[in-house]
Parts: sequence; C-alpha cells; structure tokens
Amino acid sequence: MRLTLQMLISHGRMARRMGLGPRSRIDMLRNILTGLVRHERIETTLARADEVRFYAEKLVDYAKKGDTDEKAMKMASFWLTEKDLVPKLFKVLAPRFENHSNSYTRLARIPNRQNLDRAKMAVLEYKGNPFPPLYPAKKENELTLINQLLKGYREDRAQQLDTKS
Amino acid sequence: MAACTKRLDRFIISLRLLRNLQLQNERFLSTSQCLRAAGNDSESPKFVPPSKPVIVDKTQTVASLRKFLSPEFIPPRQRTDPLKFSIERKDMIRRRKVLNIPEFYVGSILAVTMADPNASGKTNSFVGICIQRGGKGLGATFVLRNIINNQGVEICYELYSPRIQKIEVLKLEKRLDDNLMYLRDALPEYSTVDPEMKPVPFSPTGEVPVNKIKVRMRPKPWSKRWERPKFNIQGIRFDLSLTPEQMEHAQKWAQPWLEYDMLKEYDTSKLEEQIIKEVQQEMSK
Repeated sequence: MRLTLQMLISHGRMARRMGLGPRSRIDMLRNILTGLVRHERIETTLARADEVRFYAEKLVDYAKKGDTDEKAMKMASFWLTEKDLVPKLFKVLAPRFENHSNSYTRLARIPNRQNLDRAKMAVLEYKGNPFPPLYPAKKENELTLINQLLKGYREDRAQQLDTKS
Repeated sequence: MAACTKRLDRFIISLRLLRNLQLQNERFLSTSQCLRAAGNDSESPKFVPPSKPVIVDKTQTVASLRKFLSPEFIPPRQRTDPLKFSIERKDMIRRRKVLNIPEFYVGSILAVTMADPNASGKTNSFVGICIQRGGKGLGATFVLRNIINNQGVEICYELYSPRIQKIEVLKLEKRLDDNLMYLRDALPEYSTVDPEMKPVPFSPTGEVPVNKIKVRMRPKPWSKRWERPKFNIQGIRFDLSLTPEQMEHAQKWAQPWLEYDMLKEYDTSKLEEQIIKEVQQEMSK
C-alpha cells in the first residue's frame, strides 16, 4: 500500500524492483551475472537481462583496471559467486575488450516463454563469444536472375571505364 | 666606605649636571617644536603607526595552492541539458566576482553579514559552525548553528543571495562527517561559538586540518537514530550513550551490498577537473 506521494511517483528511478527486496534483487543479478561470465550467452526474461546488462558492462570496466587494483578485486569477488571465474574475468574478458570503449554486450529478444506467464524473453551475450552469431548474416543467392543481370551490368561498366581511361 | 661614597656622590652630581644640560637643551628644542605644532592644531598630534609592510610570498606558487571546487558547482546526475548547468555556472561566477565566497567545509566557523531592512544599521550578522551544505547551482545553501543565551539557533543562508554582504571564515577546518545535524542532540558545549571570535589564520596551501573530535550526546531519544549505518556517522561517542547490544541491533539496518552496487556510483573526477579549469579561467578574467 503506497502511503506517501514519494512512494507513488518513481520519476528518475534507474533500478527496477525485482525479487523480494533490494538485497534479493542484487543477489538475483549476481547469479545471472555469474552465469553470463561462465557461459557468455544466457537466456532470461527481458527485464532481468536489461538490468544485468548495465552491471556486466561496469564489471568489465572494473576488470580493465587490472588484477592488482584492490577495488576491482573486491568488486569481482563480490559479483562472481563462483570464484573460479574471477581469473577468467581478468585474464580472458578484460583483454578481449581492450579496444572497445563502451558496449561489451548484446541484447536480443526471443519469442515469449511457452509457459502460462508468456514472459518476454531475451538473450544476453558478451561480444566475441565462441558461439554462432545471434543475427546470422544472410548470404544472397548469386544464381538468381536479377543478381546475374546486375553482375553483368557491373562487369560492363568496369570494362567501359577501363577503355575510357 | 666614606671615600667610596664621596666619589660616588661626585660621580652622581656630575651625571646629574650632564643630564640637566642635556635635558635643558632637549626641553629647549622639544618644547619650542611642541608649541609650534600645538599652535597649528587644536589637539595634540595622534600617534600614526607606520604602515604594515605587504608581504608577497613568492615561494607559494600557483601550483602549490590548494585546489578547491565548491560542491555546488558539480551538477547532479540528471537528464537535464548541460547547457542549463553551464549558464548557471556563468551566473555563479558573476556573483563571485562581486562577493568573495571563501573556501569552507562542514565544521568550519563562519561569520555572515546580511542586509536586513528592519535592523538598525540595516545589517545583521551571525557567527556559527557550518553543519550542512546543501543544494546545487545558484540555490546552494549552508546552515550555521550557534547557541545564544542558552537557545540553539540555526540559520540557513543561500550562498548566492544578493542580501549577503560578507562571508568570513573565522576558522577553517573539516570534521569526520559531511553532515553535522547530530549536533542538535549533542551537549550544547559542542555547538557554542564565541560571537566575537577572532579569525584564526590559515594557509592557502597544504591539507585542511581535520578535527577528529568525537561528540558526546544527550540521553536518548534523539531527533534521528544516528547510530544506524545509513547515516554513517564517525564523529559521535556511541560507547557513552549506547550499549553494545543496541549498536548490534542498529547494524540490522546495514545494507552491505550498497558499496558494491555500481548503479549508485557517480564518478565526478573528470567533470570536476573540467569545471575547475573553467571556473579558474573565468575568475581570472
């Protein structure tokens, strides 16, 4: 029951309310983030993936600061519940994103869950993962009539330009 | 013995003669001068002390001066256009060129004179310890607290109000906390400031002195539950007013995940550098 106007209006609030409370929200996001760092591509509900996306990118920013930084190590050991992923974060993910400056993750929507809740689902992945791409590049078929005609036209133009020069 | 006294007497008499001669000459000269001077002015000439020499310390270079950016210059994390903040900063600098707003922190003792149409002499002044600095931009405020005639008085002044005529820092120091609202529940001796305090000299280089005083509180109930971790107060002596069980009970409201929550972080270092440069440029014009 929202008693005060402050509790009713949520202008400018950046964090979604998830789970049982703020502690539960952070724990849930921690678990999802650990799974993301382990598998590099996970499928969850859209809201959770959107929340985790911010934390995943910030975690990579901290990892870029390096092993020796105390704050970075504290953050990594808090956010990754499985401690064998901490070296993976610093030694694999941080060098991979050395040249990127901002976006390290990709979010793609999926058909809704088939359960009764029909929840919006999404796939969150780190760029540069070993799996086949989410948006596969469609190769155009060269043997269709229009493509063959266009190919011939391009070749003629190239010949004309060669004879002119 | 007699011989000594005789010689002494002669010596003293000769000295006296010499002194009399001297004095007579001096009196001759001095009185004539005095009379002449007295003839010109009606009163005796006042002693004018020589002007104090202005010491320009060339060892303190610009680089060694303490860099301070007033907290109201730093814009909050919002979705507003940065143009609004830059226009506001221009106005703040314009006001600062007219009125010198010195560097001060929460815990320093300030004296403020403000224009007041109802007061005799049209100004009123207040001396107090700064307990809070709030607001951003032109609406920045600071609250001064003092105890006058056994009555605690807190006045909230706006830094950029045109009514303010002078802000003077009597003692520059920092405290262990950013917000000293708990002084309301502390013993009155910690909030009393002498209204006729003389300014304590401080150097513009080096670190600001931190007063690590731990304040004693009145018996509970307090206006706020200062022992709770959300206030994060370092400057109270809790061991005198609370039992260890009560301190542990207060820790139930602790949110240990808050320091790891990256969403709450607002890194202002780059913004601060930019704004410091801008402000220094504009002020030197």
